[in-house]
Amino acid sequence: MSTAPADAASQAASARARAARIEAMVFVGLLVVLSVAVLIATTTIREPPGSTGTLGARVVPYVVGGLLLLSSLAVLIQQLRGHFGASEAGEDVDLEHGTSWGSTGIVVLAFLSLIITIPWLGWPLGVVVLFTGASLALGAKRWWVSALIGLGLGAVTQFLFGTLLGLSMPVTGTLTSWIGL
Amino acid sequence: MDTWSLLLDGFATALQPIYLLYALLGVLLGTAVGVLPGIGPAMTVALLLPITYALEPTAAFIVFAGIYYGGMYGGSTTSILLNTPGESASIVTALEGNKMARAGRGAAALATAAIGSFVAGTIATVLLTLLAPTVARFAVSLGPSDYFALMVIAFLTVGALLGDSAWRGMVSLSIGLFIGLIGVDTLTGQTRFTLGIPQLGDGIDVVLVAVGLFALGEALYVGSRLRGGELPIIPITRGWRTWMRRSDWARSWKPWLRGAAIGFPIGSIPAGGADVATFLSYASERSLAKPEYRKQFGKGAIEGVAGPEAANNAAAAGVLVPLLTLGIPTSATAAIILSAFQTYGIAPGPRLFETQPVLVWALIASLFIGNAMLLVLNLPLVGMWVKLLQIPRPYLYAGILVFAGLGAYAANFTTFDIGVLLVLGVLGFFMRRLGFPVAPLVVGAILGPMAEEQLRKAMQISQGDPAYLVHSPFSWIAYGLMVVIIALSLWLKRRRARYEASLPAVDTVAISALDEDIESHEPHPELDRGRLSTTALPRVRRDGEDDDPDDPAPSR
Repeated sequence: MSTAPADAASQAASARARAARIEAMVFVGLLVVLSVAVLIATTTIREPPGSTGTLGARVVPYVVGGLLLLSSLAVLIQQLRGHFGASEAGEDVDLEHGTSWGSTGIVVLAFLSLIITIPWLGWPLGVVVLFTGASLALGAKRWWVSALIGLGLGAVTQFLFGTLLGLSMPVTGTLTSWIGL
Repeated sequence: MDTWSLLLDGFATALQPIYLLYALLGVLLGTAVGVLPGIGPAMTVALLLPITYALEPTAAFIVFAGIYYGGMYGGSTTSILLNTPGESASIVTALEGNKMARAGRGAAALATAAIGSFVAGTIATVLLTLLAPTVARFAVSLGPSDYFALMVIAFLTVGALLGDSAWRGMVSLSIGLFIGLIGVDTLTGQTRFTLGIPQLGDGIDVVLVAVGLFALGEALYVGSRLRGGELPIIPITRGWRTWMRRSDWARSWKPWLRGAAIGFPIGSIPAGGADVATFLSYASERSLAKPEYRKQFGKGAIEGVAGPEAANNAAAAGVLVPLLTLGIPTSATAAIILSAFQTYGIAPGPRLFETQPVLVWALIASLFIGNAMLLVLNLPLVGMWVKLLQIPRPYLYAGILVFAGLGAYAANFTTFDIGVLLVLGVLGFFMRRLGFPVAPLVVGAILGPMAEEQLRKAMQISQGDPAYLVHSPFSWIAYGLMVVIIALSLWLKRRRARYEASLPAVDTVAISALDEDIESHEPHPELDRGRLSTTALPRVRRDGEDDDPDDPAPSR
């Protein structure tokens, strides 16, 4: 009886390790593809004629592309022999459990929302959306606390960087221009 | 004018009330974010790059200097007091400091770290003051091929040494070099790798690279694996005056000085930075310790906190020597500070001391001032900083995202940059997951374009003869040293990994038993016993086999 949960746990752990290995191989594979693409794209960089004796615009890209290809192939070989990199440790990082892709996705979307919210709603309200979305995804309990902190943060950064330091942060956007600020 | 009068001028600038305020702001910010888990000095400087768009250069660099030193102080507080598995084994300070804290001696560990950082930081800043003008005078005579040699050294040492495996570092470095290539080539006016997107014509702003990889990448990574529940913070006793016992002072002052002597030179050559310095200091303290203290190593030896912490801070000051005199960053933080100089159109290098004497000397003077402020801020106020550790993580990381967005948007005020930042952040996220170091990428992206410029200048001088790159004795010495440094550092890293792997897990009772054992040989054990810094010490003799608290000699 008592071995069944332990078995399930070790099975889950080995499934995670397998997924991590596949992910590592895909990432390094993409790097190899990128380096080949860099080398091919370098051949299309135009070299103005009449610059003999000096280094043209292609030489360094060739070297960099070659270095990327060489080092990513070396890592690929290391991984084929079973040497995988260890995930970075950190005080807040829990390496023993799996990755919560759902919340990571929401955090990415919340950050991406700035592209729309800055021109449409202005910086302070954009911060409210980003902060509320990200903190709820990361496990904050009450949405209105998050929204209030986000509003405070948006107002403070707007004041500090926009008003005091003079950066042109938009207070309002196209949708909120009726707010007289 | 000689160095001292220039330095006095620097103090005259830096002691103006407004600059003192900026220095205070810098050290407060630096300590605060250094204490916050998951935020290092590189990320802090990256997040605060937007202030360079608004502040004048002197003020901005005084703030950065404060952040730079403050982050070091704050980081040691976290590693000593935060009891999390995994991280505590990776840094030698945490190795001993965390165990001291678990045995109830956290206050002493914090105090020796802070005072050691101050002592070593001050010594190293004095050395920086003396050394930098000399190096700058010498560096004026260096040609493009010599600079190229120095940059190659910086690339290869950073790539090979920052991280677990040299090849993984080189992958990271070459991605960074590639990012640096994107945009219009300054010499020929040809666009490279822009995929026809006009916004990429100016290249990818280094602010975006730094913020994307450090701030956004880190926040995404930590967010994906956020540790649930309360973080176990080790409590410390009140009353900072009594933190260090006389024996603690006696055991600490030599490691502080040795740490400074080890850290500064290692910081000033590109040899893998503070990591190597702290481990060298740790290893030398362990072999130099008296036999009765040596068995305490791995179980909370105060020398193992004092030496590496001092070395860490001295190395941080050492990094500024090549940065200010040659314009060559040897760590990620230095690379980001270099990019801040570039935002102002100031090129660090040998001419910096001639063209910007006010700025440079005010910066150096503010390092002294900031160091003194940090000692005052850290010793009595550590309780306040510890409270920062309790910020709920969802709010902390959401706040980092807000500042990352601010940094990206304020770079050019286009939302296109938000998208670029996200791409870089996702790249940083996967690099962290899969064990690629991030720092070489940032160094490559910032230093790469400069290296290409020097290379092409050298080739123009030599009419395309590559032999010119190795024509000067300086470049021979430089390339020779590079091979030696890399070989030595790789060997050291292997030793360190072996040592850390060989450490057995030690329980608190065993640590405090040893602690009491050593203390019983001290001339004044009863003076401090129980009443002051060791109130939280688990009294093994009470729970254990020996019930008599007055027994002066435990059974070992």
